[in-house]
Amino acid sequence: MEASVAPADLNLMKKNDVILMGVLAAAALILSVGISLYFAANTKMAEAVVYVDGKEQGRYALNHPQTVKISSGDGNYNVLEIKENQAEITEASCPDKLCVKHRPVKKSGESLVCLPNRVVVEIENGDEREVDSSASGTGGENHGKKGGIYGNADSSCICIFLY
Amino acid sequence: MGMLTALAFVFSYIEFLIPIHLGIPGVKLGLANLVVIVALYTMGTKEACALSLIRIVLTGFTFGSPASMLYSLAGGSLSLLVMILIRKLEVFSVTGVSVLGGVFHNIGQILAAVLVVETASLLYYLPVLILSGTIAGAVIGILAARLMKRLENMIRKC
Amino acid sequence: MHVKKSYGAVVVLLAAVLVAGFLAAESKSNRMERYEVKFFDSFDTVTVITGYAKSQEEFQEQTELLQKKLKYYHELFDIYHAYEGINNIKTVNDAAGKEPVEVDREMIGLLKLGKEMYQETGGKINIAYGSVLSVWHEYREQGMADPKEAQLPPEELLRKQSEHTDISKVIIDEKASTVFLQDEDMSLDVGSIGKGYAVQRLAEYAEEIGMKHLLISVGGNVCAVGNKGDGEPWRVGIENPDLDSDQSYVGAVELTEGSIVTSGNYQRFYMVEGKRYCHIIDPDTGMPSEYFPSVSVMAEDSGKADALSTSLFNMEVQEGLALVESMPGVEALWIMEDGGVRCSSGFEFDEEK
Repeated sequence: MEASVAPADLNLMKKNDVILMGVLAAAALILSVGISLYFAANTKMAEAVVYVDGKEQGRYALNHPQTVKISSGDGNYNVLEIKENQAEITEASCPDKLCVKHRPVKKSGESLVCLPNRVVVEIENGDEREVDSSASGTGGENHGKKGGIYGNADSSCICIFLY
Repeated sequence: MGMLTALAFVFSYIEFLIPIHLGIPGVKLGLANLVVIVALYTMGTKEACALSLIRIVLTGFTFGSPASMLYSLAGGSLSLLVMILIRKLEVFSVTGVSVLGGVFHNIGQILAAVLVVETASLLYYLPVLILSGTIAGAVIGILAARLMKRLENMIRKC
Repeated sequence: MHVKKSYGAVVVLLAAVLVAGFLAAESKSNRMERYEVKFFDSFDTVTVITGYAKSQEEFQEQTELLQKKLKYYHELFDIYHAYEGINNIKTVNDAAGKEPVEVDREMIGLLKLGKEMYQETGGKINIAYGSVLSVWHEYREQGMADPKEAQLPPEELLRKQSEHTDISKVIIDEKASTVFLQDEDMSLDVGSIGKGYAVQRLAEYAEEIGMKHLLISVGGNVCAVGNKGDGEPWRVGIENPDLDSDQSYVGAVELTEGSIVTSGNYQRFYMVEGKRYCHIIDPDTGMPSEYFPSVSVMAEDSGKADALSTSLFNMEVQEGLALVESMPGVEALWIMEDGGVRCSSGFEFDEEK
């Protein structure tokens, strides 16, 4: 055993200790207020992001009910309606109306797509989706469409989303 | 020395078996740190370091995962480093040193976690962890002081 | 001496902190991030590729290769457009009754799969059914463009067209790598297997270029390559055919390899006098099938899954169930008009409550 242990060291508590604990408690309190303010200011709201031809056209917060007309040139349009924290396309100029038939979207990564008008509405910063993909019943149709979209091959877009 | 190591190991095991849930994930009393502090005061810096490292590696391999070992390594070494320096200052008693040790144990762990998970939002926990580190450190400090008084008396009697 | 000792200990501790930091950084660099890319230039639908990769650059580079590859299949299997420098289905159809057309190996592979599936399903999927399908296609397009004037194709026309759908008149010469349609009024339509075949080949190609954790969806035709990178399987939702329901999925299946494909009547259809006519036509009746709203097929091979989902859609549940049970490694799930679910003995899924 070392003899260098000073007896004073073994006191249960010194005045300095009490001050230290007080300072730490105060620091924790101040930090927690600061951090919650910071997070409140920086937390992103769920929003619907509209792309036409792969280019972003606008962002609309899901908690703000509104109706947006998306024009995609040549008089083509899709009407995007946001209410009850979800987005859906209620009207469109396209022939197949697949986008109108699609159910409303609200979770991150879910999207509404109108291929003929080259319009994509994608949800960002929403709740997590419980599946990675979905098997939906478009299978088995005739392939190709007369005068479909792939006259303009350049209309393809790559959007990468980082989770 | 061997006895203290064994004791620290046993304390870790007890906490592993009966975690004292305080309602917040990751918060525990850290009974093993009691032994580290006693070692620091009664045997010296070098021994305390050795004991702390052995305990972390031993418990890491026995009950933990590489990730949990990483966290306790970060927390344990930062905490001990701070305690050694603060003790040299001779401003605080055992309790004060232990409080700072507790706080920096938590800070070390969360910094390692932030590095791994790359999520700054973990810092949200920081105030909670400072507070819990203070309380746990105080409890451990008082226990350590009492323990050492007994030890001293025993040694004197011998 | 004592002071020196302490310094040594402090150095050891500092080293420990450094090691901890290094380990933390190391385990971070081995972690893979999730990326997703969408593109729209193939098969008239949305392609979504989800994957885990070490960097965005790597993922983007690889998915660009996949996009090109898919585009190639798209052009190869197109029945309406000709493309420079490539003999596709349209080229073969245009040469019907005239001459064999030299085609890529990939096309031979697709047509062989088509013939094989014709045999296995008792003719419930027929790639030589183009003459009838094109009639329905035309009436459906017109009906959608002008719903008030929507009409059904005249029975007489359908009957006449169905005389030119004999799959045995599709002559494949593997050695010469040519295809010849013996009947000049017949035509190929590979809509029921082309997408699945392409997805299957795409998944194989992805593995070749080193992608290990991937989920490919081409318009709901889903195929997995490996798991999610952390050992977890991919979760694929089976879409609820009742689009008015709040419940998006009937359930979810887990995939670490293989494919799931759904055929349904709820997305592509047109209305004539208040009745729904979908895009899948039963080769035996020449009319749209209406046994149930949707069927999903799981199989190792995506092309096979695609072909089977279409043929099961053209059968009653009992008949389809018997067919599925007779095929090893194939499972299926039917969703009935009343929302009820039937599935084959080995179909595992988490039902959405």
